[in-house]
Amino acid sequence: MTYRVAMDIGGTFTDVVAYDEERGTFAAAKAATTPADLAEGVFAALGRAVESPGDISFFVHGTTQGLNALLERKGARVLLLASAGMRDVYHIARGNRDRMFDLKYRKPTPLVDRSATAEAGGRLDSRGTETEPLDERAVRAAAARARDEGFDAVAVCLLFAYANPAHELRAGEILREELGDDVLVVLSHQVAREWREYERTSSAVLEAYTGPVVRGYLNRIEDRFAARGLTVPVQVMQSSGGIVNASFARVHPLQTLLSGPVGGTMGGTAAGALLGRPNAICVDMGGTSFDVSLVLDGRPDVSSEGAADGFPVLMPLVNLHTIGAGGGSLAYAEAGGLRVGPESAGAVPGPACYGRGGTRATVTDANVVLGRVDPDWFAGGHMTLDTGAAHTAVASLANELGLETGELASGICDVANAKMAQAIRTLTVEHGREPREFVLLAFGGAGPVHAAALARELGIDEVVVPRFPGAFSAWGMLGTEVRRDLVRQFFTPGDALDGAAMSGALGSLETEARHALAEQGVPAERRRVEHAVDMRYEGQDYTLTVPLSGAGEPADEGFGAEAARRFAALHARRYGHATPEAPVEFVTLRTTAFGGLPGMTPEPYAPEPAPGGAAAATVKRVTFDGTAHDTPVLRREHLAPGTHVPGPAVVVEATSTTVIPPDSAATVDPNGFLVLKIGAAA
Amino acid sequence: MTAEARTADARTAEARTTRTRTAGARTAQVHPIDPVTTEIIRCALLQAAEDMNTTLIRSAYTPTIYEAKDCAVALLDRDHHVLGQSSGLPIFLGNLEECTRATERMYGAEVWRPGDVWLLNDSYIGGTHLNDVTVYAPIFSGEGGSEELIGFAASRAHWIDMGSKDPGGSMDSTTIYQEGLRMGPLKVYEAGEPCELTHQLIATNVRFPQPTLGDMRAQVACARTGARRLTEIVERWGTGTVLAARDAIFAQTERLEREQIAAIPDGTYEATGHLDNDGIDLGTPLRVTVRVEIAGERMTVDVTDCAEQATGPVNCGAAQTVAACRVGYKLLVSGEVPLNGGSFRPLEVLTRPGTMLAAVEPAACQYYYSHLGLVIDLVVRALAPAVPERAAAASYGDSMIVQLTGTDPRTGKLFVSQEATVGGWGAWDAQDGESCLINNVNGSLRDMPVEVLETLFPVRVEEYTVRTDSGGAGRTRGGNGVVRQYRFAADQKLSLWWERSVTPAWGLFGGEDGTPPRVTLNPGTPDERSLLKANALAVRAGDVLRCESGGGGGYGPAAERAADAVREDVRQGLLTPGAAVSAYGSGERETSGG
Repeated sequence: MTYRVAMDIGGTFTDVVAYDEERGTFAAAKAATTPADLAEGVFAALGRAVESPGDISFFVHGTTQGLNALLERKGARVLLLASAGMRDVYHIARGNRDRMFDLKYRKPTPLVDRSATAEAGGRLDSRGTETEPLDERAVRAAAARARDEGFDAVAVCLLFAYANPAHELRAGEILREELGDDVLVVLSHQVAREWREYERTSSAVLEAYTGPVVRGYLNRIEDRFAARGLTVPVQVMQSSGGIVNASFARVHPLQTLLSGPVGGTMGGTAAGALLGRPNAICVDMGGTSFDVSLVLDGRPDVSSEGAADGFPVLMPLVNLHTIGAGGGSLAYAEAGGLRVGPESAGAVPGPACYGRGGTRATVTDANVVLGRVDPDWFAGGHMTLDTGAAHTAVASLANELGLETGELASGICDVANAKMAQAIRTLTVEHGREPREFVLLAFGGAGPVHAAALARELGIDEVVVPRFPGAFSAWGMLGTEVRRDLVRQFFTPGDALDGAAMSGALGSLETEARHALAEQGVPAERRRVEHAVDMRYEGQDYTLTVPLSGAGEPADEGFGAEAARRFAALHARRYGHATPEAPVEFVTLRTTAFGGLPGMTPEPYAPEPAPGGAAAATVKRVTFDGTAHDTPVLRREHLAPGTHVPGPAVVVEATSTTVIPPDSAATVDPNGFLVLKIGAAA
Repeated sequence: MTAEARTADARTAEARTTRTRTAGARTAQVHPIDPVTTEIIRCALLQAAEDMNTTLIRSAYTPTIYEAKDCAVALLDRDHHVLGQSSGLPIFLGNLEECTRATERMYGAEVWRPGDVWLLNDSYIGGTHLNDVTVYAPIFSGEGGSEELIGFAASRAHWIDMGSKDPGGSMDSTTIYQEGLRMGPLKVYEAGEPCELTHQLIATNVRFPQPTLGDMRAQVACARTGARRLTEIVERWGTGTVLAARDAIFAQTERLEREQIAAIPDGTYEATGHLDNDGIDLGTPLRVTVRVEIAGERMTVDVTDCAEQATGPVNCGAAQTVAACRVGYKLLVSGEVPLNGGSFRPLEVLTRPGTMLAAVEPAACQYYYSHLGLVIDLVVRALAPAVPERAAAASYGDSMIVQLTGTDPRTGKLFVSQEATVGGWGAWDAQDGESCLINNVNGSLRDMPVEVLETLFPVRVEEYTVRTDSGGAGRTRGGNGVVRQYRFAADQKLSLWWERSVTPAWGLFGGEDGTPPRVTLNPGTPDERSLLKANALAVRAGDVLRCESGGGGGYGPAAERAADAVREDVRQGLLTPGAAVSAYGSGERETSGG
């Protein structure tokens, strides 16, 4: 027996999906996450899916260790070294604010105290030419301070290091010479070789702050797995949606910062490919969370920068949009009107039906009142819901608003669905697309409960609930690739472009990227490198990433005009207009290396035989559009491919519940996915 | 004292006062509506405005719009009431409808036709400077001759140049005719087709026609998004239901705001401050007095007692003054609650034509926002005694503009760099004010990275640090201003618009004022020169410009500040040990504290 195994270590549960390479079958398992010693939960979950770690041929996991250290402010003590005169760049934080009518606005509290910043003289100009040598004595003084005051890490960000890293490299040399291996030294150009000193400083600080935690974690988990007989390297999910091995992740720990939930988007990409649907809206809804991401033209929607807990970070990351609060969104009355969210009941006290002391109605309570969530089979039977508490909470608000309890419960769901759908529409509008071009992929415990209603609001006619909707992030990790991203600032007005120089720069990035894949054991025939350049119209600040055919393309005759044409076409697609004759600028080069994993050839999905032979176990009263319907409740594991399930129906499984409204119907496809046709009543 | 001084003026002021009160909505036919449908429609209208905003920002050409968010959008009903609004700049709050109203007043309701798009930038109608152009389109449902007007989509955005006498706008204009192309209601699209003559008129009058027309197309795209969304909503729910929901939504907003005002003790509250000058006569400060009356659930803001309209470009149309008073009101009354036609109904604003807050032709309006920032701060200042827990001490107050123009010797090209400068914000009862934060009027503007600035323009930044000791002392202290020091790498022209040295950020309830701003050319040399305003001053390569923005005001007596808070400020280098002694009394408190 050999298995490929993926694991998603979430805040509450650790989910495992294992692919049996001989039988071509998938299996999922879960165990409670054990924060004190993660290994306990990890091996408990693993033990439910595979016999022995020695049988594992490939192991990947997503970790939230770095992110947790950040959210809980339990990262390393960092000393920040900046160019002379620039010590406050990190604290000024570009001086903007995001709430317009707040007299009491405060920026996020920086991860480094102002007193823990030092400066070193030395200056480069914007082309990277030295105008003043590095003050090495100041660097040694900073090292002495780091040693004397017991700092865990030093983050170095010097002006124009992206153009010429010489000063940063020399500072790094001195710091390592003085401090040895005890103190982590992070150089900004090695984290993000892009301009904008605040964003680069913030990225370097984040790496310094979370790096030691992530490294310690990776060391421990590798040791524990090795001790249990794992013979292959531990692979880690990156924020970009690609994977790297642990040795590589130890050198670039920042890349794993937001790795946890992106598996869902990668699963969406893989599922979209199986379904022949290149554009997918991935909806991940839990009891108290709601994340949306997009798959566009068969690729995950990845940005070249983003933010972590309010701090900017320059690295590729899958765009995950947290919207409202999902099932935990509170319903309440305001000035005689109904409101749903954004305030959330959170995990504690949680919805009233959780029986943890919550008394205010939430979306999940409304689902319970309507019969759409089975109180005895919530979270696969891991949790029993208090139906009475849900009724009491909804009834009390209904009384306040002059509505019947059932009427309000429907209303809460309708408002929540409308708001979620509107937020999703805005996301697609940002990409210049309409929702009806997409398939809606629903997962998480509550995603499939709302998916049909969301689709209807959005004018989408097909919803897919993949297998293992509660462990979909883990499933997604099995279908991804090794990935390494490299960037280089290359600012030039279009009319001054030196195509040969750009090709040369891309060529050296390609060499470096292929080397990274080789280091991770990706065989040459499975290595693939893509190049792109960020462009904009003169005077713009935002850029669009324009794909190139290869590193050599910029050296071709007529490249400038061709690039401008491609950019204008992208601009028109994205924004609805373009000015083909306007001057353009080239800003940043982006090279990405992919290393494909050996393909999987799963057998067609086969259901588990139903104990009594009958698939329809029970019939319940479920409310749709204000009317209670007799609704069959089916167990998903007994539904064979080709099975047609007309609405109304509810399909339950260990990790989720799928609601099929009266005007819709579901079919089980050969992958075992539930495919809902909205408005296609049987 | 102040009251006495203004008695004489008051009567004349009264006679010429313009009252701006938000009109009540035309009542819809009685149409029962449940709270669920109302809420779904409310959310859909808000999201429609967000989609308009997204379309505008994502498709704009110039950073002023997509980066500085110098723009706003609104979806209006047929009676010009706001159904949904999204604002980049706070001072664009709730006055886009002035443009559709003015058009209808001038040409009658029959002027609206499907597929038409209009624009307007007249300062005396829209209230702003000419760069702020409002583009608006009527929205119709139905087709083929049975179209029915259901509302309007409007957006306002800052165009980078309107053909004023100096690129980008002048700091020394004295009439609006020096400030560029001024357009009343003008059609830019007719029945879906561009009006070529209008496009041509704009293209031949502005310095950067390509990006300018690009931004206009982004505004047209924004209007189309709004039209599509509102049509979808009306077609889904029916006009009767949408109107009934509208009335319910407006009533909810009005009720919320009335409850908030009722919680403020009745009385008349007053505050006075000064602009440094009008940019022409540098020796004469310009006074603004704000009188706020709270009577039950109503609030009246009276700004009739202020300087007459000035020679320099510090005037604005009354519409913007109303907007500024609404910002002050919103800061204290309704916070981040979304705005709609029910907002501001309990608010009345009194302005007096001919003053700099209700300017008439031909007053120059380029720097129309400096005193609007002051008006906002004064509304908060006036009401602070009534709502001490909602108020905060003053912030550093204005955009503090540094503008450089010239020819870049590296490229031989003309360049224009305009930066706003961050500064200190005021403290409040629970916390110190924030340091180095952009001013209220500038929305979410981000500063210019040194690495980008030096790449694009022939200038170096030698220092960008917190201005130590500049926050006003107090139980909670004001935030610190910033130091930004430039060295010019080529001969060029320098323009400055720095304000609030006459009325620096005031403290509240015994807190100290923040340190006023200071700008020095070639500090520490025989050529040293202090200046806060300049228009196209010639500077040479190698000259140094040191800009120090003001700090925010403190809140409560400095003597009541916790000793360990003072010590921590010293440890973090935000307060020098000397200032700790002089501002907070004694060194002993520092040592005895812990």
